Amino acid sequence: MKKILQSTTILMAAACALAPAAAYALDNPIRGNIRVVIGSKSTGGDTYQASSIIAEALAQKIDANIKVDAVGFSAAYQALGRVPTGNTLMIFHDQAYLGNLYGQKGYEDPFKEWTIGPSFATNPGNGYLVPKNSPYKNMDEILNAAGNGKTIRVAIQPGGVSEIGYTAMKNAVRLAYPGQEDNLVALNTGSQSDKNQALFDGLADVINGSVQANEQYTRLPADDQKAMNFVWLTAKASTIAKANPNGMGETSRDQLMQYASGLGVNIPMDAENNFTFDKEFYFLYNKRMSPEVIEFLDKALAEVFADGKVQETFKKSFFIPNFRTSAEAQKHFKEKRDSYAKIINNLHK
Amino acid sequence: MEFLELLSPSFFLLAAAGSIIGIIFGAIPGMTATMAVAVCLPLTYTLGLQEGLALLLGLYVGGISGGLVPAVLLNIPGTPSSITTTFDGYPMAQRGEAERALKTCIVASLFGGTFSAIVLFFFAPVLADFAIKFSYVEKFLMIFFAMSVIASLSKNILMGVFSGLLGVLLSLIGTYDVSNGGNGEYRLMAPFMEPYLAYGFSLLPVLIGLFGISTIIEEAEKGAREPSLENKVNLNKGKPFRFNIFKGQFSNLMRSSSIGTFIGMLPGIGGSAASILAYTQQKNFSKHPEKLGKGEPEGLVASESANNGLTGGALIPLLSLGIPGDSTTAVLIGAFTLQGLQVGPLFIGENIDTWFSMITALMFANIVMFIVMFYAIRHIAKVVLIPKFILYPIIVMMCAVGAYAINYGIMFDVWTLFLFGVAGWIFTKIGIEIAPLVIGFILGSSAEVYFVKSLESYGEYSILFTKSPIAMVLWGLIVLSIVVSVMIHRKSKQHANKEAK
Amino acid sequence: MFDWFSSLNAVVIDFDTSHLFFPRIVISLLLILGLVIVVSYFRPVMQAIRTGRYQFFVKNADFFRLLMTFALIPAYFWGMDAIGAVLPNMGLGFLLASIPFVFLMSMLYCHDMTRRNLIIIVSNAVITPTFVWGVLYHLFAVSMP
Repeated sequence: MKKILQSTTILMAAACALAPAAAYALDNPIRGNIRVVIGSKSTGGDTYQASSIIAEALAQKIDANIKVDAVGFSAAYQALGRVPTGNTLMIFHDQAYLGNLYGQKGYEDPFKEWTIGPSFATNPGNGYLVPKNSPYKNMDEILNAAGNGKTIRVAIQPGGVSEIGYTAMKNAVRLAYPGQEDNLVALNTGSQSDKNQALFDGLADVINGSVQANEQYTRLPADDQKAMNFVWLTAKASTIAKANPNGMGETSRDQLMQYASGLGVNIPMDAENNFTFDKEFYFLYNKRMSPEVIEFLDKALAEVFADGKVQETFKKSFFIPNFRTSAEAQKHFKEKRDSYAKIINNLHK
Repeated sequence: MEFLELLSPSFFLLAAAGSIIGIIFGAIPGMTATMAVAVCLPLTYTLGLQEGLALLLGLYVGGISGGLVPAVLLNIPGTPSSITTTFDGYPMAQRGEAERALKTCIVASLFGGTFSAIVLFFFAPVLADFAIKFSYVEKFLMIFFAMSVIASLSKNILMGVFSGLLGVLLSLIGTYDVSNGGNGEYRLMAPFMEPYLAYGFSLLPVLIGLFGISTIIEEAEKGAREPSLENKVNLNKGKPFRFNIFKGQFSNLMRSSSIGTFIGMLPGIGGSAASILAYTQQKNFSKHPEKLGKGEPEGLVASESANNGLTGGALIPLLSLGIPGDSTTAVLIGAFTLQGLQVGPLFIGENIDTWFSMITALMFANIVMFIVMFYAIRHIAKVVLIPKFILYPIIVMMCAVGAYAINYGIMFDVWTLFLFGVAGWIFTKIGIEIAPLVIGFILGSSAEVYFVKSLESYGEYSILFTKSPIAMVLWGLIVLSIVVSVMIHRKSKQHANKEAK
Repeated sequence: MFDWFSSLNAVVIDFDTSHLFFPRIVISLLLILGLVIVVSYFRPVMQAIRTGRYQFFVKNADFFRLLMTFALIPAYFWGMDAIGAVLPNMGLGFLLASIPFVFLMSMLYCHDMTRRNLIIIVSNAVITPTFVWGVLYHLFAVSMP
């Protein structure tokens, strides 16, 4: 009996293995299964979530097995470097070049090392919060206080997406009150729970957070030690405007809009422009991957977006669908990198 | 009650299936509860939230419990938190009491699991508010407290502490991780190691390397001979299991389950600390502490009720703060995000049906785990009868699968397995003690973060003592724990001397 | 009057070098403890080694099996990685390396090479890896080389 069970399982497994092989789309230049490694080690985070959504949609479109593996950026780069056939792809976000700009260990210049693949989604949730009983009600008050000699401690995870908004705040203080920018101090913490904890402990005045992770905290009554308020969302107002109207949890999109860059909050980039930061997700390819495969994936993803279903899935999870072909993405992210490089360099002068 | 409508037969079926699959994952050396939850996470897409959660919670409970099987039978912790189960479980199995040991573990697991589910149900929000009173300082002291077990666990205090510190040092190799609050700089390694060791050695490969692979190397050195007929482990020779084993163990059960639940509740302490701490405390409170580590059921009771106590505990910050309490719940949170559901301080109030169904799944999974394991264990225990020449290659193979899969496919983790297998084999020969080393390794990196961050944020050493009443209480416990373990060492030395005379 | 205390008590950790703070403490403690251990155990240990009471290998060590184990396991790990690089993302690196490995290691450890044992070894070497591959890779989508 046991033997029979065993052999049926094997047969079933073998059948599973062979089934997709028979159904390969004829023009698919990638033979075999596809593995998508992501730059984050967490399966609870937005990178995994966005990658799962796009991988699922792509797998259906090109009729292949696609598996998302949360290996973290360093292992992901290694895996990607080994397989030029397109069987291993990577998904990451702006951290890829920000880590490099901030001089983090292990972050090489992605434009040199890899081919930038298509972008597909934006997470508009990155933001900054204060405790509900904070003396500062909005971003202006925080920047003015820093400009007038008050020390403001901002809890961030250094070296990337979490720091870029802090850099912008510092830059804003520098523009309005030259020489006072050092009153804004970074409190270097790690995960979201560490940042929240820093706020509860009174170690930080402002923390980096996100709509997804902190929305419920903003709805707590003011006398709760854990209660917080948003003061700024770094995404462009026009980006947030594209989000699901229901927003997140019980906070509607319109309520969130008041914290958006350029609408409720003004953080200047330089004399003319406002600073904004959209966290965008995109593919990274092995440099040796053939143009044929790049074109195939561009086309396949374009079709996925043309079908329109994946947009709904993204919106449901508070992502903003945002498709660019590989070439477009390459150009877009280079420009984005250059503009952030400027303010980071200004501060280090 | 509306939630009752959500409880379809398939809900219970999935919780039971989860529990059973989890047990199998936990029972295979190298596969863990976290892995079981991770591999089934994508399934929750199609299953929907309630049923997806039933499956995952079943996997969680089953996986944590299944880890006791190889810990007892093979001296390999099936899941990192069952490391303390090996201390007494394996010696018992060697005496032919495998079934008795396993059943003791299973009953303790059921108690711990149920206890924590009840605590979760009644006290989650209150306890979460208490948990956020633990800042860097208090968390460091909790880690330090757990580390004090090294003093009582080692055969020779000097060598034991040395081994523990060595473990801590090994855990620091790599970057000072940015996602834990570090500065992302490398330390303790040569440039050629950078591509492999950016995140340092992973826990699971180190653990199964030190316990599993090194045992196989040792056996190979001895010729991998099958035991002769009269030395063969006889499953019927040892004492049978009776429930009266638990007589006088009630305080142990309560204490260990509470410790497990409490450690689970503190984000960033790590699940393995739970059973380690519970084991230390049992050793300190025990009437004959010198027997622990040589095959005493009370050690099993402490270890297993604590690591199942962890399950409910780790769900407390997840569901009432949105912050996972251990590595498995960190994966579990993915089930919520994939469904577009937020977990945070208002989760329970706004999703009361989901909340009730989760508790139901948790309780049910515990019961299934108990029934399945308690009655199947006679057969599982026969693993020890499989000849070595069949068993060992399979263990190596499964360890390789587990090591490769633990971080979703990293080859270096497999090499770590071999590296630490060889290291473990050499260590035992030169007097370095494995158990303290592993404990140092498990707790080392969190000890660093919380210690350095305490000093960095407050700028004075005295903060470690004066931060809060909680800190002072913890210091009291640490001192007590160390004093008691030194006394135990003295006592057992005198004992040994007396016997020698 | 408490100046001396507050100056001793004060600690400034520069974030940029904070990655070295804790390792330095641990290394210092290790060195001190190591020294204490050497001082207190040097003589008895040396004596034990000289008199032959302490030996690194066990008595009658089976060097053949030991060395072969040291060769087989790395060869297995290397093999699965190498095969996996040629046939990526299908778990074939695992499957194709495990079958010979399980077979060879069983042969190595088996002392009683009867016909029956040989059949068990061969079928185990073929069935078990295939079963594990089928269930874990295909059913559960566990990552494999």
